Amino acid sequence: MEEQNIGGAAPQAEEPRKTAVQTPAPGGTRVWLKLIAGLYLVSLVAAFALIAKADAVKKTRAKEMDISKLSALTKAKKDAVGVVEIYGAISQGSSSRSWERGSQQIARKIAEVAAEKEVKAVVLDINTPGGSVGAVQEIYSVIRRAKLETKKPFIARFGEVSASGGYYVASACDLIVAQPGTITGSIGVIFSVANFEGLMKKVGFKSEAIKSGKFKDIGSPTREMTPEERRLLQGMIDDSYAQFVAAVAEGRKMPEDKVKLLADGRIYTGRQGLENGLVDKLGDLQDALDAAGEMGGIGKKPRIVRETAPFEQFLSLMDSRLQPFGTKAMADALGATPSLEYRWDGR
Amino acid sequence: MAVLSTLEVLIDRPEALAAYEKPAGLGRAGFAGYFAGTLGLFMFLRLQAMVPPGALSLLAMFFFVLAANFLFAGVIHLFMELTGADPAPRGGAARLFQAFGCTDFLLAALVPLGFLHRANVFNGLLGFCACILVLLWARVRLVRRLYPVSGNKALLAVWLPYAALTALFFVGLVYGLAWFVWLLV
Repeated sequence: MEEQNIGGAAPQAEEPRKTAVQTPAPGGTRVWLKLIAGLYLVSLVAAFALIAKADAVKKTRAKEMDISKLSALTKAKKDAVGVVEIYGAISQGSSSRSWERGSQQIARKIAEVAAEKEVKAVVLDINTPGGSVGAVQEIYSVIRRAKLETKKPFIARFGEVSASGGYYVASACDLIVAQPGTITGSIGVIFSVANFEGLMKKVGFKSEAIKSGKFKDIGSPTREMTPEERRLLQGMIDDSYAQFVAAVAEGRKMPEDKVKLLADGRIYTGRQGLENGLVDKLGDLQDALDAAGEMGGIGKKPRIVRETAPFEQFLSLMDSRLQPFGTKAMADALGATPSLEYRWDGR
Repeated sequence: MAVLSTLEVLIDRPEALAAYEKPAGLGRAGFAGYFAGTLGLFMFLRLQAMVPPGALSLLAMFFFVLAANFLFAGVIHLFMELTGADPAPRGGAARLFQAFGCTDFLLAALVPLGFLHRANVFNGLLGFCACILVLLWARVRLVRRLYPVSGNKALLAVWLPYAALTALFFVGLVYGLAWFVWLLV
């Protein structure tokens, strides 16, 4: 249909109409349009002014002259402080479940954040009562390695609780910032084992172990612990304790004798920790970030890079939803074996 | 001024839109309309602090408006062709898209409306809805100029893409909510 219109006599017939279309009709339309355009421009200018004023009010705050801000201007805009969260009891996660927050995953996150070029300092946001010795030491060693390789400062920030293994991890950092009321300390090792012998006798349940050596079922909950086993376990605990003390002494640059005086397992508030040299500074997360910014040479109020893995968080949520009635947690609790722990059990 | 001339022609002689030769400067006026309309909408939303500031934010909105209207014009033209409404002499999706741009000048009214809303003398939402209704009305008129269809069919054609997108949005929203509830409960 269109071809016929184009190819036929239509173009000639349309010629007069085209000429007429191109010529604006005389009248008041143009005046009105100009008036509306003018009003639009005026309202635009006024809107810009209003928005600029509103934005300026938002930004206006009491400002302090801070030299570090000037030096920060010369730095690349991308410079940032990395934040890694260590929340909850620390344990070895399953390597096949990348979304679990086990020590392996935390260690990997720390290494990844520290390796990022834009990250000039790393803040560990710690809120944990500790955990198993191996898992805690895994995180501790990755911090030390990252510090050695990247030469970046690490800052530990304590939240509600950062005791035992939480403090072990923090001792590898260059600065520890805690709230005045943070529960910290609890430097020590614990090995707890339940004894169900009496209960099992009552219900008529008997368990027997056929073992290759006399210590093979050490820590068994079905019988009383022998003095020999107790001595053996005490030796292990003393050795792990010595490792803890050595780590704190090295990290805090404190003589081991002084650390031992503080390390009888007691807990401290953040303020007591500051008095005893276990904590460097009292403050909140922002103080820790500011300190990290300054130590990283990018000034206060630095840009923050968080180790976020939305996909893993989603998988974690899915995993928890797909466990009917928390059966996994129950199975984990029942299957738990006694182990050496840098952990405070006071909560 | 060329844009004003084109608008003047479209207002005084709306039949020019359906002429064999499109009105001079229609494309320019259309894009100017899209920009003025987007700027109006952007300023209205900025006055309510509902969009992030900055040129990038405005540009993102502008390109979204262009893309959405390009899609809408295409869908409307396809709908018209499928239902047997051939466009007048040289109409088509491109001319419809450019003409829609001219109707977007109406969104410039959102700037003073935003002011009035901030001054608490006028309901901003009401003004916004009124603007959108006037815009739709103008587009229906445009469609009727370009295609030989009834008012109801033109209204259906203009509303169709909006309705489809709205339906898609609500289906997605409901599905997302059900999914979220399943995750949490």
